[in-house]
Amino acid sequence: MLAYVARRLLLAVPTLLAVMTLVFVLVRIVPGDPAQTILGDQASQEALMAMRERLGLNRPLWEQYIDFLRDALSGDWGNSMVTGHPILQEILNVLPYTIDLTVASLIIGALFGIPLGVWSALHRNRLVDYVTRVGSLLGLSFPAFVSAILLLLVFSIELNWFPVISAGDRSSVGEVLENLALPAINLGLIMTAYITRVTRSSMLNVLGEDYIRTAHAKGLPNRAVIWIHALRNALIPVVTVVGLYLGILIGNSVLTEIVFNRPGLGKLIVGALSQRDYTMLQGLMVIYTFIIIIVNLLTDLTYGLIDPRVKYS
Amino acid sequence: MARRPANGQAPAQFALDVRGLTTSFYVGGKWFPAVRDVSFALKRHETLALVGESGCGKSMTAMSIMGLVPKDAGRVKAEAILFEGQDLARASEAKMREVRGDGISMVFQEPMTSLNPVLTIGFQVSEALRHHRGLSRRDAAARALHILDQVKIPSAKSRFNDYPHQFSGGMRQRVMIAMALACQPKILLADEPTTALDVTIQAQILELLRELKRETGMAMIFITHNLGVVAELADRVAVMYAGQIVEIAEVAELFARPTHPYTEALLRSIPRSDRDTAELYTIPGQVPPITRMPPGCKFADRCAYRLDRCQAEEQQLAPLAKAPAHAVRCWRRTEETQPEMVVVDA
Ligand SMILES: Nc1ncnc2c1ncn2[C@@H]1O[C@H](COP(=O)(O)OP(=O)(O)OP(=O)(O)O)[C@@H](O)[C@H]1O
Ligand SMILES: [Mg+2]
Repeated sequence: MLAYVARRLLLAVPTLLAVMTLVFVLVRIVPGDPAQTILGDQASQEALMAMRERLGLNRPLWEQYIDFLRDALSGDWGNSMVTGHPILQEILNVLPYTIDLTVASLIIGALFGIPLGVWSALHRNRLVDYVTRVGSLLGLSFPAFVSAILLLLVFSIELNWFPVISAGDRSSVGEVLENLALPAINLGLIMTAYITRVTRSSMLNVLGEDYIRTAHAKGLPNRAVIWIHALRNALIPVVTVVGLYLGILIGNSVLTEIVFNRPGLGKLIVGALSQRDYTMLQGLMVIYTFIIIIVNLLTDLTYGLIDPRVKYS
Repeated sequence: MARRPANGQAPAQFALDVRGLTTSFYVGGKWFPAVRDVSFALKRHETLALVGESGCGKSMTAMSIMGLVPKDAGRVKAEAILFEGQDLARASEAKMREVRGDGISMVFQEPMTSLNPVLTIGFQVSEALRHHRGLSRRDAAARALHILDQVKIPSAKSRFNDYPHQFSGGMRQRVMIAMALACQPKILLADEPTTALDVTIQAQILELLRELKRETGMAMIFITHNLGVVAELADRVAVMYAGQIVEIAEVAELFARPTHPYTEALLRSIPRSDRDTAELYTIPGQVPPITRMPPGCKFADRCAYRLDRCQAEEQQLAPLAKAPAHAVRCWRRTEETQPEMVVVDA
C-alpha cells in the first residue's frame, strides 16, 4: 500500500512536468507583452527593454525553459506581476482556506447526502422520494452565489450567528470553524444534492442485485441488508463521482469565496486571470494539477477501502 | 386432496404442505398468474424435484414459499403454506425473516452473482448464525468454518477471510450451500444450483448435496430442467408446465410410466451417453408467456395427442387408477381408456 502510494506519486512527476511545460509554452504564446502589462501603457521604450531584460524575455526560449524548471523545483516560482509578492507564498497563504472549505463541504455532503440518497431509494416513487429528488435538483441548479447571499442575510445579518466577512484569522480552531461554517454549508448543500442523487440511483441498482436477494433469503433484518449488504456496494460509484466533483469544486468555489469575502484558490485564480498575472497563473496551474493528482490518488485509495476487488498494483 | 386432514395442521410426516399457491405478476396494468393453484406436500427427509422448461414457474414457486417474490411486481396467494405448525401464507414479514435462512433456506442458480462481492465469505456464512442463533462473532466463525469444511472448501481456514471473486464458480456455489445450511434448516430449496456450472463441477455439487442431505436429514426441493439429474437425486418428481403441476409421482414410477404428454416429451429430450446428442429430441414450440395463457390445457398446442376438448376445458390433476400416488393433469390419460398406456404395459 505504501509502495503503491509512492509509485503513484512518482508517476505524478511526468504529469507535473508536462503541465509545467504546457504552462511555459502557453504563457509565451498568449498575445500581449508581459513587460507592457507590468509597466502599463505609458511606459517608455527603455523601461520596457529593461523589464524584458529583467524577466529574461530576451534570452533563447530553451534557456528560459531550463531556468523556469530549475526555479520551480527550488521553490522559486517567481513574483506576482501585480503585487510583486512571491507566488508560492501567496498560494500557500490561501491553500489552507481552500482545503478547509473543500473538506468541510465534502463532510457535509456525505453526512447528509448518503442517508438521503438511501432513504430516497428505499421509498422509490413515493412522496419522500419525489421531495428528495426535486430538492436535490434544486440544490444543483440553484446558483451558488444566490444561496450564499441568502445564507448571509439570514444567519449573519438577521440572526447574527456568524461573521459577515469570513476572512481572516486562523489563530484558533473556534475561529476557523466560525468563519468556515456558512461557506461550507453553501458548498455542502451542492455536495449534498450531488451525493444524494448518485447514492439514490446507485442504491436502486444494487437493491436489484442477486446478492441482495441472498441476504434476504438468509432472513437478515432489513437494516442489515441495507446498511451492510447494499450500501457498501452502492458507494463505489459515489466515490467516483465525488472524486471528479471535488476537482471541479476546488476551482469553482470562487463565487462562494467572493460573497463571503474569504481567501481561497478560486479567488486567486480569477484575480490572476482578470489582471493577466501570468506568473501567478503559471503557479496556480501547477498547484491545481498537483491537487487533482492528490484527489485522484485519495479516490483510488478509497475504492480500495470499499471494494476488495480493487488491487494496488 | 383427500389425504389431507382439514384442521389446518400439516400431518407430522410433512415438512412442508403447500396448498393452492397462486403467484401473479402485474404486467401492463393487469395481474397474470405465473404459478397457478400449485399444491404439493414435501415429506420429511424427502427430496422432491420440481422439473420443467424455462419460464414455467419453478423459481417463483420456491420464491413464494420463501416470501421473496418482489412486492412491487408480484402477489402471492395461497390457501395455506404449512411449515412446522405455522401458515407461512399468513405469516408477517418479521415471522418470515425468522423462518428464512433458519427453518427454510434457499440456494440460487447464479453462484457468480449471489454472493456479496465486498464481504468475506467467512462473514457471509457466519451472518445467519449470528442473527438467528445469536452466536458471538467468534462462535459463529467457528461454526461457519466447520460448515465450510463440510461443503469441502479446500483449506477453508486460510480462505475464511477471502472474498467471493477469489473463488471459482463451483467453489462459490459450495459457499452458497454452506450459507444455506449454516442454521441446519429443515428444508433446503435448491433452485437449479448446478445449471451455471461446468459438467464435472455439476456432478461434484450434486454429489455434495446428496451427501449433505444424508448427513443432515433435511428435506429438499430440487429445481431443475434436467430430468437426468432428477433420476439420481430425487425421491419424488413434480413436473411443472405453465405455472401448474401437470404430473407428480415417485421417481421410479415417473420414469417407468411417464403419463402426461409433456413429461413424455421431457424424458425424450434427456441427453444420453449411448445416443448421439445431434439426434436429441427437442419439444416443438414454447411455453406460453404468462400474459398469453390459452384456456384449457396449457400444453395443448404443443401436444401430439390434442383433441378439441383439451383446449376447451380446464384439466384437473387426477390420480391414476392403477397408482393413486401418481397424479396427472390430462383427461385423456386419466379418464379415457388409455390406449398408449395399454400398449406400454403389455
Ligand atoms: N417480476 C416479474 N414480472 C413479470 N413476470 C415475471 C416476473 N418474474 C417472473 N415472471 C414470469 O413468471 C414466469 C415464471 O418464472 P420463473 O422464474 O418461476 O420460471 P422458472 O421455471 O424458474 O424458469 P427458469 O428455468 O428459466 O429459471 C415466467 O414466465 C416469468 O416471465
Ligand atoms: Mg428459475
